[in-house]
Amino acid sequence: MEIFALDFMQRAWIAGLIVAVICPLIGSFLVLRHQSMMGDGLGHIAFAGVAGGVLLGVGPVISGVVATVLGAIFIEKARTKLKDYGDMILAIFFYSGIALAIIFIGLNKTGGFNLSSILFGSLMTITTSDLWLIATLGVIASCFVVMLYRPLQYLVFDETSAKVAGLPINTLNMALTILTALTVALAMRIVGILLVSAMMVIPVACSLQTAKSFSGTILGGIGYGLFSVFSGLILSYYLNLAPGGTIVIVGTICFICSLVYKITNSKKITKETLENEPCAICAHSEATMGEKDES
Amino acid sequence: MEKIIKIDNLSYNYGEGWILHNLSLEITKGDFLAVIGPNGAGKSTLLRLLANILEPTKGDIRIYDEPLDTFKHWEKIGYVPQNPARNQKDFPIKVREVVELGLVNSGNIFKSLKSKDLLKVNAIINKFYLEDLASKKLGELSGGQQQRVFLARAMVNNPEILLLDEPATGIDTEAKAELYQMLGDLSEQEGKTIIMVSHDLDLAVKYAKNAVCLDHGVCFFGDVKEALNHHHKHGYFYR
Repeated sequence: MEIFALDFMQRAWIAGLIVAVICPLIGSFLVLRHQSMMGDGLGHIAFAGVAGGVLLGVGPVISGVVATVLGAIFIEKARTKLKDYGDMILAIFFYSGIALAIIFIGLNKTGGFNLSSILFGSLMTITTSDLWLIATLGVIASCFVVMLYRPLQYLVFDETSAKVAGLPINTLNMALTILTALTVALAMRIVGILLVSAMMVIPVACSLQTAKSFSGTILGGIGYGLFSVFSGLILSYYLNLAPGGTIVIVGTICFICSLVYKITNSKKITKETLENEPCAICAHSEATMGEKDES
Repeated sequence: MEKIIKIDNLSYNYGEGWILHNLSLEITKGDFLAVIGPNGAGKSTLLRLLANILEPTKGDIRIYDEPLDTFKHWEKIGYVPQNPARNQKDFPIKVREVVELGLVNSGNIFKSLKSKDLLKVNAIINKFYLEDLASKKLGELSGGQQQRVFLARAMVNNPEILLLDEPATGIDTEAKAELYQMLGDLSEQEGKTIIMVSHDLDLAVKYAKNAVCLDHGVCFFGDVKEALNHHHKHGYFYR
């Protein structure tokens, strides 16, 4: 099959599938901490970093990574200090990032900047070195989550008790934030801000509709991510659609289906429970009647 | 009797006056201490200071003669926060997973659970009558059942001290009595030191040994039955 035989498609497959694993893996922790917009917010800071790098003649990868990691550290510090305003802090960084990017792009008169590639990625033009970069990131992210699975689970579920247990919650929070920043900054130029931030949220949101356990949510998120990338790439190839956008739309359709399944399933369970459960009033009347008969 | 917690001239403020002011207290090993007092008297603050969640503005807390800021043996402390499942209705976590979290501490951050850890989890699940609920999602449980899960999490590592911040909040009368009975047994039979913020003086009298009444400082500290007498005479525990 041509779709698997062509060199550029093979690279697109590998990169897409790695992103489909890394993003929900990290995104699960963000979504469960009510920080779903973190990926998007950091994406805009990375955007400013790349635009600033091009303007100053610094490599866009380095400038993007530095800006995103610094932004992530500031967001985490501010979130710790102003706990009740976490989303507000994120919004301020989000707007400031895009504002700086616009200013840098306006100041850049020499060109050398492909806005569309940053925003929407270019899965079909991935090089072998891009693949190595994203594969290395995948290994780091997986090792981080596997080695620190329970402390991270504790942190996300009940941060106060995790602190009482003596866990270094500030260090764990910071490590998670920096890993998110690295994922956004490195994967963004390959697959675009849209795909990175969407893949951190949508597959996890699908999984959350049916998952009962923490590990089930992460594994389900990865499953939905792989399905979205696989189906999205096939559809985009044969229908000649933008791959990033198609993958996200497939993910959104999965979310709608999982939500409908959850709603119909919970109605069915409620109905079955009501049918099987004995009526307390009838049971009481029967018992009273029995007592009367005996007397 | 060994004094395992020593609080000396402890003060804490949130920026608008003192929540606790010059509070001194010594807690004996094996005590079941009910922390009572009016709303805003600093009961939960005291517990959060003992759990090192808050830092004292002034004063000193020592556990096993070690200052709290250098205390390392957090596996000896079990903590149940106030209304822990409040925002967790949809959180995807099974009862067993919650209990397993009680085994995670600073000493085993990179370690996975071993078979002896799983035995501990199974034992505590049985002890707190959670066998049938172990594979259920936490959010599907009633308030009383959830409190039992959090108590099991606090107890799975067999801690010597239990800090409980209003563990009976939001549960019905029957579940409340069961919970107090369970705590009474832990104190009586296993010699655990329990420090519990409580609004249920009647139940506390039945199961606790001592009571400390707070009203920014200590207004009473002694036998829990005496505390009830004081309450009837002066009525100053609950304003």
